Amino acid sequence: MILTPKILARLVAIVILGVLLQLSCFAQVAIFHVSPDLLPVLVISLGLLGGTMTGVVTGFAVGILLDCLLIEPLGGASLVLLATGYLAGLFRERFEIHSPLVPPLLCMGLTIFAELGFGAIELMLGVDATVSTLVIGDILIKGVFAFVLGWPIYLGLRRVLRPALVEEQAVRRPGRPTALGA
Amino acid sequence: MYRKQVRRRRAVLALLIVGSFALLTVTYGAGSNGIQRSVSTIFSPVQSVADGALKPARDLVNWFDQTLDARGRNSKLQSELQDARKQSVGASAALAENAQLRKLLKLDRSGAIPSGYDPVTGSVIARSPTVWFADVTIDVGSDDGVRVEDPVVNGDGLVGTVTALTGGSAQVTLIADHSSAVSAKVVPAAGQGGAPVAVQGVIRPNVGDPGDLLLDFIDSTKHIRKGQSVVTAGWRSREFESRFPPNIPIGEVTKASLVEQEAQQQVHVRPFADLRDLDIVQVLTGGSRG
Repeated sequence: MILTPKILARLVAIVILGVLLQLSCFAQVAIFHVSPDLLPVLVISLGLLGGTMTGVVTGFAVGILLDCLLIEPLGGASLVLLATGYLAGLFRERFEIHSPLVPPLLCMGLTIFAELGFGAIELMLGVDATVSTLVIGDILIKGVFAFVLGWPIYLGLRRVLRPALVEEQAVRRPGRPTALGA
Repeated sequence: MYRKQVRRRRAVLALLIVGSFALLTVTYGAGSNGIQRSVSTIFSPVQSVADGALKPARDLVNWFDQTLDARGRNSKLQSELQDARKQSVGASAALAENAQLRKLLKLDRSGAIPSGYDPVTGSVIARSPTVWFADVTIDVGSDDGVRVEDPVVNGDGLVGTVTALTGGSAQVTLIADHSSAVSAKVVPAAGQGGAPVAVQGVIRPNVGDPGDLLLDFIDSTKHIRKGQSVVTAGWRSREFESRFPPNIPIGEVTKASLVEQEAQQQVHVRPFADLRDLDIVQVLTGGSRG
């Protein structure tokens, strides 16, 4: 990703808007008793578009802002989301995204990874209560929501960040052939 | 050049991981800190505006979800669903808000909230997005007289307790959170016979299932029955006092098998408050806690 001050401002706006939208809207709606989680999808999409560096830094920033607004211990969400962004970025650097199904499938898989990561952080900090098996179902449903949200969010972000994307600049429409074929 | 880039990436990754662990170590269990208070002060008004602006969209989605949910319920609930369908999305939101406020008023007047407490009403403005945390953020804070450890109720009963504060907002840890423990007692059922002795225990969560709490550490010699109500115990000793005042409704016993009571000293309790769908709550400020 080619970072210019304009692109940086867009990324900051995306992070803030994403966190506010998650807290004020997505976290307060429930479908099948589960709230969709927009933030892993956002971080994964940014990782897929910008690579590991973008994924890691935006994951960290989203996590810190989330923890600040939820008045949670700082660092937990950042750790999980930066790992999620890193994995998405690593995928982008190692493999080609040759099918439109790749971003939503990755969003689903990595969102489940992120939810398990949040659980791992909780266990690390000491959960001293019983854990219901319903959690597994909830995590899987969150994964399905991420699959649904994945494609529109990926496309939307690609549009917003188009000037900064390396592939978008490299791919140019070939010029019209002249009469001489030159 | 490429190697330099890779080294730089790895350095940033390592730095952020170490930073996250360091922040987690420093801030865990320390309540709100300066950074959080500053960020919250900046974003609280924005969140309140966004919360209000996005309410119709949330209500619309929730309306669809509730409609799907209601299909699986019994005929009694189906009739209520038909009534709900007649209402428009906007009107139902307004009615729901009104009903919650009325219930809160009813709870205040019923004597469930002891004298000396000053209820401060607030709205839920944010909710933890993961299935592991059970806490919400409300739009009242220390500027409104709210203090850490103040109990929080809604029109149905106990919701949780304030665990962190900023000037204009507070984090409420729900009774379904893994860190929650509430001393409680089972209200003796009418016609149970014998002396009306309340069975005491501790309400603990069943993480991931906010509709199912456990009343733990009960006296296994006293038989608790399904349908009995559970309220806060509100104990007091010479030096210490429970953070919850006595007799605030918590829930209803839904599963009380003899085996579980005798072997594990626990029964299952369904909270009266719908912890997945909180909107308006009251923080019980003041009280006799020093």
